[in-house]
Amino acid sequence: MTDMFVSLGTWNWLIFGFILMALEVLAPGIFLFWLGLAALLVGLISFTVVISWQIQLVMFAVFAAAAVPVWRRLARPNLDASTSPFLNKRTEALLGREFTLEKPIVDGNGTMRIGDTVWRVAGPDTPAGTRVKVVQVDGVNLTVATA
Amino acid sequence: MSGFDIFAIVLVLLVIVTLVAGVKTVPQGYDWTIERFGKYTQTLSPGLNLIVPYFDRVGRKINMMEQVIDIPEQEVITKDNATVTVDGVAFYQVFDAAKASYEVSNLTQAITVLTMTNIRSVMGAMDLDQVLSHRDEINERLLRVVDAAVSPWGLKVNRIEIKDIVPPADLVEAMGRQMKAERVKRADILAAEGQRQSEILRAEGAKQGQILQAEGRKEAAFRDAEARERSAEAEAKATQMVSDAISKGDVAALNYFIADKYIKAFGQLADSPNQKIIMLPIEATSILGSLAGIGEIAKATFGESAASAAAAARRGSVPTTGATPPVVPPRQG
Repeated sequence: MTDMFVSLGTWNWLIFGFILMALEVLAPGIFLFWLGLAALLVGLISFTVVISWQIQLVMFAVFAAAAVPVWRRLARPNLDASTSPFLNKRTEALLGREFTLEKPIVDGNGTMRIGDTVWRVAGPDTPAGTRVKVVQVDGVNLTVATA
Repeated sequence: MSGFDIFAIVLVLLVIVTLVAGVKTVPQGYDWTIERFGKYTQTLSPGLNLIVPYFDRVGRKINMMEQVIDIPEQEVITKDNATVTVDGVAFYQVFDAAKASYEVSNLTQAITVLTMTNIRSVMGAMDLDQVLSHRDEINERLLRVVDAAVSPWGLKVNRIEIKDIVPPADLVEAMGRQMKAERVKRADILAAEGQRQSEILRAEGAKQGQILQAEGRKEAAFRDAEARERSAEAEAKATQMVSDAISKGDVAALNYFIADKYIKAFGQLADSPNQKIIMLPIEATSILGSLAGIGEIAKATFGESAASAAAAARRGSVPTTGATPPVVPPRQG
């Protein structure tokens, strides 16, 4: 076993890298992918430059750690894109929409019927029947302004 | 094995462990709170997230999807002292994972208890009939009160529905009887009204019939009178015409008319197939006999005009009075 491992030499890194990537598909969590990437990188480098296995290990660790900030800078916006950005974000979906006040806003607080439930809204004092626009959402609190 | 060997191996292990601890994939529908040294710092939204291992740890994993909780059955005493059993459901959704995690402990129990007490206070202020018929209003009021109460917890109650309102069995039975009595009453009233209507219609029909009949009779009487008037008029006119004719002409014309009618009537009697023996009253024959006598008297009276009358009679081929019918029996006075 050890003999085979030693005889394969730098090929071990490439094999290890692909195995990690394959495992990533089976158990998604992203970190195995980076480890695999780091392993492939170490393998490619050790093909061209002869370095000791200890240095190879340290390089592997550094590449793996470095993958995180690199990924954060480059890939994040693309990876996070969704076709339903307002899933589980019902209030954000209301942002910018206009509604008619059913009851007046008094002392900065009132209620407004949206869909088949009643939302509490904050905003400047306005009489009932006014068209208002949702200008800000914060959790369950909606802020409105006269449209 | 040198120290560097061990260092390299440990370094790799450390990096792997750190990566595993620092990379957090939050599934859609959940928000995770992050606590740094036990204190809330941020909320992770769905997707790939990184935290700083060793300092940060995942606190609560909050379900951000709308959820339903059963409001367990409870007994409520209405304003008119009826005890009803009520249960329901509440739909809520967390909008602020941090508040839902740390502002309240045991969220679902809090919502359940809050809803139950509010059901009692809302329904306790209503009569049984109102409770049974104003379910929408109850839901609406519950929603307003409970939603306002849960708002500091960063969640919103979207809907509260009363599922079942069960009055006690004897009350249900009484209500059933009341309803049945009401329907029976309505049916009876309807039947009576129908009968009344039909009798009125029938009476009206009879009245109308009588009126029409009377009108018919009236009309008929009018027309009868008219007819009698007309026939009297006609008779008078005819008599006038006859008397005019007589006054102007020969009296023999009168005799002709009478004789003509007499013969025709007698002919009819003779024609009758089963009446070969004809009985004539004495008076009839004497009338016939008198006709010839009247002719003689007329001749004597209108002496000189008789010749011209006879000439006029000849022109009109009218037989003279002397031509009495042959069937006149000889017995005459």
